[in-house]
Amino acid sequence: MRALRLALAGALSATALTAATLASTAGATTTLKGCDSATYKTSGKLTVGTDNPVWEPWFSNNKPSNGAGYESAFTYALARKMGFSKANVKWVTVPFDASYAPGAKSFDFDINEISYTPQRARTVEFSKSYYNVQQSVVVLKTSKYANVTTLAGLKGAKFGDQVGTTGMTYITKYIKPDAKPRAYNTLDLAVAALQSKQIDAIVVDTPTGNYMVNVQITTKSGKALAKQIGQFKSVGEHFGVTFQKNSKLVACVNSAIAALKADGTLKRLSNQYLSDYTAVPLLK
Amino acid sequence: MAPGGRAVREFFLSPTHAWRAFIGDPSEGLSAIWEGFLTNIWMFIVCEVLVLIFGLAIAVVRMSSSPILTPLRFLSTVYTDFFRGIPVILVLFAVGYGVPGMDLGWISQQSPTVYACISLTITYSAYVAEVYRAGINSVATNQLVAARAIGLRQGATMRYVVLPQAVRNVIPPLLNDFISLQKDTALVSTLGIVDATQAAHIYGSLNFNFAGYTVASLLFLLLTIPMTRLTDRLINRDRVKRLAFIS
Amino acid sequence: MIELHNVHKQFDQRTVLHGVTLELQPHEVVCLLGTSGSGKSTLLRCINLLDRIDQGDIIFQGQSLLDDRIDVDLVRRHIGIVFQAFNLFPHLNVLDNITLGPQRALGRPKHEVESEARELLGRIGLGTRSGDYPDQLSGGQQQRVAIARALAMQPDVLLLDEVTSALDPTLVGEVLDLLSDLALQGTTMLIATHEMQFARDVAHRVALLDAGRLVEVAPAQQFFDSPSQPETVDFLSRVPKTQ
Ligand SMILES: Nc1ncnc2c1ncn2[C@@H]1O[C@H](COP(=O)(O)OP(=O)(O)OP(=O)(O)O)[C@@H](O)[C@H]1O
Ligand SMILES: [Mg+2]
Repeated sequence: MRALRLALAGALSATALTAATLASTAGATTTLKGCDSATYKTSGKLTVGTDNPVWEPWFSNNKPSNGAGYESAFTYALARKMGFSKANVKWVTVPFDASYAPGAKSFDFDINEISYTPQRARTVEFSKSYYNVQQSVVVLKTSKYANVTTLAGLKGAKFGDQVGTTGMTYITKYIKPDAKPRAYNTLDLAVAALQSKQIDAIVVDTPTGNYMVNVQITTKSGKALAKQIGQFKSVGEHFGVTFQKNSKLVACVNSAIAALKADGTLKRLSNQYLSDYTAVPLLK
Repeated sequence: MAPGGRAVREFFLSPTHAWRAFIGDPSEGLSAIWEGFLTNIWMFIVCEVLVLIFGLAIAVVRMSSSPILTPLRFLSTVYTDFFRGIPVILVLFAVGYGVPGMDLGWISQQSPTVYACISLTITYSAYVAEVYRAGINSVATNQLVAARAIGLRQGATMRYVVLPQAVRNVIPPLLNDFISLQKDTALVSTLGIVDATQAAHIYGSLNFNFAGYTVASLLFLLLTIPMTRLTDRLINRDRVKRLAFIS
Repeated sequence: MIELHNVHKQFDQRTVLHGVTLELQPHEVVCLLGTSGSGKSTLLRCINLLDRIDQGDIIFQGQSLLDDRIDVDLVRRHIGIVFQAFNLFPHLNVLDNITLGPQRALGRPKHEVESEARELLGRIGLGTRSGDYPDQLSGGQQQRVAIARALAMQPDVLLLDEVTSALDPTLVGEVLDLLSDLALQGTTMLIATHEMQFARDVAHRVALLDAGRLVEVAPAQQFFDSPSQPETVDFLSRVPKTQ
């Protein structure tokens, strides 16, 4: 059992392997700053929330516990730094809206591509960035917007995004389209609307957009039908894990993230799972 | 007050959040709830008119005894059974994503608002047809006999004697259906339309605060309460009248 | 004007009319007597084609009403009927109750039928109530409106089915007076009634229906003063004298 776990961890990297070996001897022993005063939902376990379903490339096969996908791999790396073995990471399903509703939370932290905004930070606690995200524009290859390279060129397009994502902010702030943007309850519905030409373009974070074009919106034989025409320039948007307000765990997680940054783990994970996405041009 | 009561109050009732949600802020990606609510209102009005017309047509066809209309009569029975049994939201999905996906020329190129209106109209026409049918049945047979006795033909009997009385009898249940129609306009958000509830949803998830939902609820109440009061008044007036008739 | 030949009518297996034969002359008033359940209403409804007879024939102005080519609605425009329960249209005011038939069944112009209706209302003493709704009128007033509604169709014959039975005794008189007036003006009428005195005063002939059989038809005076059938004697002995 243990050998198997180590083998899985080994797939990630030698550094991670070392961390895992060190930590696996005892639950929650670590020398990281801020972790000595940390308290957990269930002692000895790290309870992590995320939505169901979860998407590529952040997770894989809708199984947060398989260690694959950027956010899953990051969570296990983070857990290791905080002194939890893989077996001691417990996943719970938390719908996005429930992740920030008032009241006691069922998780120690929630990870679900949640962008930091000062407004959101008034209700929940955010960790430091674990991924600096940019938003991109996805259109069908046959669309008249397929070769547009500027924001101004998109003014006439009908936009949609998933309700509650920061994509809406980019649409109304930077493009100011003539038609009212639409907000779909799930990304799938937005994709369906794009494919049936109800909308011309979806604004979505670049990695997710890339997955959409390469996997989701394709012919049966895998030929891409959609195209990421460009991304918005970075405005410092980033993903953080979220905690209950005044959680005692924030400092510990932040130290762990800093350590993962310092030892190159974040860079490596992002290369492994999100590397294709740096090639998308900037929209001028 | 329960522990955490303050947090809950802030989450649902914060006046600052409520106001911001109400007026919206494009620079933050926030649609105005009031603007979304206009969508609810006009959809409701358009659908209501269509539903009144289609519902009546279906009911009359269903209750006709003319042999030429037999196939139509059968269809209208199937129609009402079918659409009364299916949740509106599934009809919205089928029409809103199915029709555009079928590539039927202009039929597939309408805006989501058109598909939303069609879906609501399809479903509510089935409900309202049944209400009309009950109303038509509630007209006493002696009224039919009296109409036939002065030589009115079937069509004229329906139009001048039965329907006016039927409609009057069913105004309260009709209004009830319209109150649910008003609320069900919120379901159009499944087609990406940013109505009041979807604007509140956007506000909620970008700000992690649900005061926008409270605002949307209040707006809906503003619309439905006059309607419920009116319904009650009519029901009451009807009862008083009937009592007076009995005594 | 109307001839009934051996009219049979049954509901399910029960025969309600056992071969009724009767002839109604133009301008004649015939009163139809009989105990409750004897078949008076059924007979009137059959003449108006509201019920179909099972056997026999009804001849109206020389034509059989059983002929399949007969337009039932057209026949009803010539044979008016007034019911015990008035059956006014509650959603229409008095004037519209009266004009609905002439306007929508006969297709006559509105202004013409309205002025006729007002004249009719004057004749029945309700000239000022044309805008009222049925539920604002007394029973007697409602029944008079119902009679006016039938008259507005200018029928050749008027069938009246116990038009005073649902009325408060104090209101019976006004309706019977109206019928007497109509009789004097020569309206052809077949009147089912329990009002003996009225029958005696107004009817040319009186008929007795007993369990679906027409047992005696005779001129009014003869019917009451020297009935020939034992059923008639029996019937007259059981109803209170109305002097
Ligand atoms: N639609 C019907 N179906 C079955 N039976 C009926 C129907 N209409 C009348 N009858 C029966 O036919 C018989 C005659 O009824 P009808 O109403 O003609 O009597 P009536 O002489 O008018 O009595 P009343 O003085 O009480 O009005 C009754 O036994 C009645 O029950
Ligand atoms: Mg009777």
